[in-house]
Amino acid sequence: MSHHDDAERDIDILETHETDPITAFEGDLPVGTSTPSALRRKLIQYAPAIALFFIVLVAWESLTRLLGVESFLLPKPTEIAEKLADNTGIIWAAAVNTLIEAIGGFVVGVLLGITVALATVRWAAAREGLMPFAIAANSVPIIAVAPITNAMFSLTSPVSKMAVVAIVVFFPVMINTARGLTEVDPAELELMRSYASHPRTVLTRVRIPNALPYFFSSLKVASALSIIAAIVAEYFGGPQDVLGQYIVSKAQLFLFPDAWAAIVVASAIGIAFYGLILLAERVFMPWHISFRAADDR
Amino acid sequence: MSQVVIEARGVNKVFGRTGPSPVEALRDISLSVAPGEFVSLIGPSGCGKSTLLRLIGDLVAPSSGTLQINGKEPHQARLDRDYGMVFQRATLLDWRTVGKNVELPLEVMGSDDRQARARQMLELVQLGDFEHHYPWQLSGGMQQRVAIARALSFRPSLLLMDEPFGALDEMTRELMQQEVLRIWRETETTVVFVTHSIPEAVFLSTRVFVMSPRPGRISDVIDVPLSHPRDEDTRESADYYEKITEVREALRRQERP
Repeated sequence: MSHHDDAERDIDILETHETDPITAFEGDLPVGTSTPSALRRKLIQYAPAIALFFIVLVAWESLTRLLGVESFLLPKPTEIAEKLADNTGIIWAAAVNTLIEAIGGFVVGVLLGITVALATVRWAAAREGLMPFAIAANSVPIIAVAPITNAMFSLTSPVSKMAVVAIVVFFPVMINTARGLTEVDPAELELMRSYASHPRTVLTRVRIPNALPYFFSSLKVASALSIIAAIVAEYFGGPQDVLGQYIVSKAQLFLFPDAWAAIVVASAIGIAFYGLILLAERVFMPWHISFRAADDR
Repeated sequence: MSQVVIEARGVNKVFGRTGPSPVEALRDISLSVAPGEFVSLIGPSGCGKSTLLRLIGDLVAPSSGTLQINGKEPHQARLDRDYGMVFQRATLLDWRTVGKNVELPLEVMGSDDRQARARQMLELVQLGDFEHHYPWQLSGGMQQRVAIARALSFRPSLLLMDEPFGALDEMTRELMQQEVLRIWRETETTVVFVTHSIPEAVFLSTRVFVMSPRPGRISDVIDVPLSHPRDEDTRESADYYEKITEVREALRRQERP
């Protein structure tokens, strides 16, 4: 796991050994501090990103207008927004269906990934036999199997799309989780050994908490991949009321602003999913270094 | 409890015995430590002092010789939870608060009254107010005191410390030494302390085992009859300096072939 800088740790907050409460802490623990000042700090922190977003949007709009860019090349943001407003109902229904595929596959892939990762801890043979293939599989474009899963499972069933998503999600989750479970500070393992701990206790008290940061970073990757995989799988056919088919059919009819409207929604879903993972990360590992308030570090 | 806590007779340790380049880490180690003693192992790096500590704590097994802890094999002593260990790094679990870190061994061992016991231990190391803090919010010295509280929480008969203050600055280090002596007197635990600091070994110990390298052997055993409690005055006393000189000379003698 990532050991925070020893130099940082050794900053002597307290030189002497008296038990005076340390003023530097002011009792503010790193967990869930959302005081008004913290909120303001957050806003200031994100201000450049928000500003950039609007600058790009305005530049996009004015350049497409100024240069008279054809809408099949790049439609104007206002045009996309208009189509989005006109077809909210249809796009929303399509998005829900795509989301069901993505989340269904995501859940299956993550559960499988965790299971296999746990097996690699329990059986060294599983780790040594499986990991090279898993790492190899993780670097090939698994999304290419989409037409095959479409054939394996019924084309009309969301299961065929979920299968693609599950396969795509499985590898990063499995590899990262296995790494987090096995790459434990040897001193922590010796400590547990000195307590004559059962391997199960070592798993629950040390290995699993140690794996959480690895697991969550794999979930962040997997959340984005799941939406991508679902939409790409939809390109290869199936029911029409999904985002992938919506985009394909509009593009075929040269209705590019319509296609873009669906892309915007797909992006929003991806970002929201990612945000949800970030939130879960905060809830499940509030102790992690990345959440320590800047002035406490 | 038996009359000796640690009894070693002719203990040898060779790493990579079956490999192409075996390393003889320890040769013919014999020592015996009585209950309530505070002994230090001192020597240049590579003299096997940490290895000896790890043999005692059953983290590695001896190649030959007999080693008994409280009249048992080290393995049995470990299963009986006779050891508390403190390493050079505090090795606190990042995801647990200070209090929960101290509770860890009690949790593993299924003890009752964990929280009360952890509090009591934190009081002992004078960190009573930091139960709910996370390890990273503490300085290096405070973290090491948490590690000591954790090691003592289940009342082991033997405390093994492997250069626990090696990473601390000199002032913190001296404070910690006094803390450890106070805790040692209060708990009457037997302590084996690995260090490469001569003043530290003399200040803390009732006996100092001087080790020589390649292969690691015990070259001298020096009694330190300085009176207890030891404090800042001890550090300025003539007897203290005399003992430091004695240990230093014992270490120097090894350098001559």
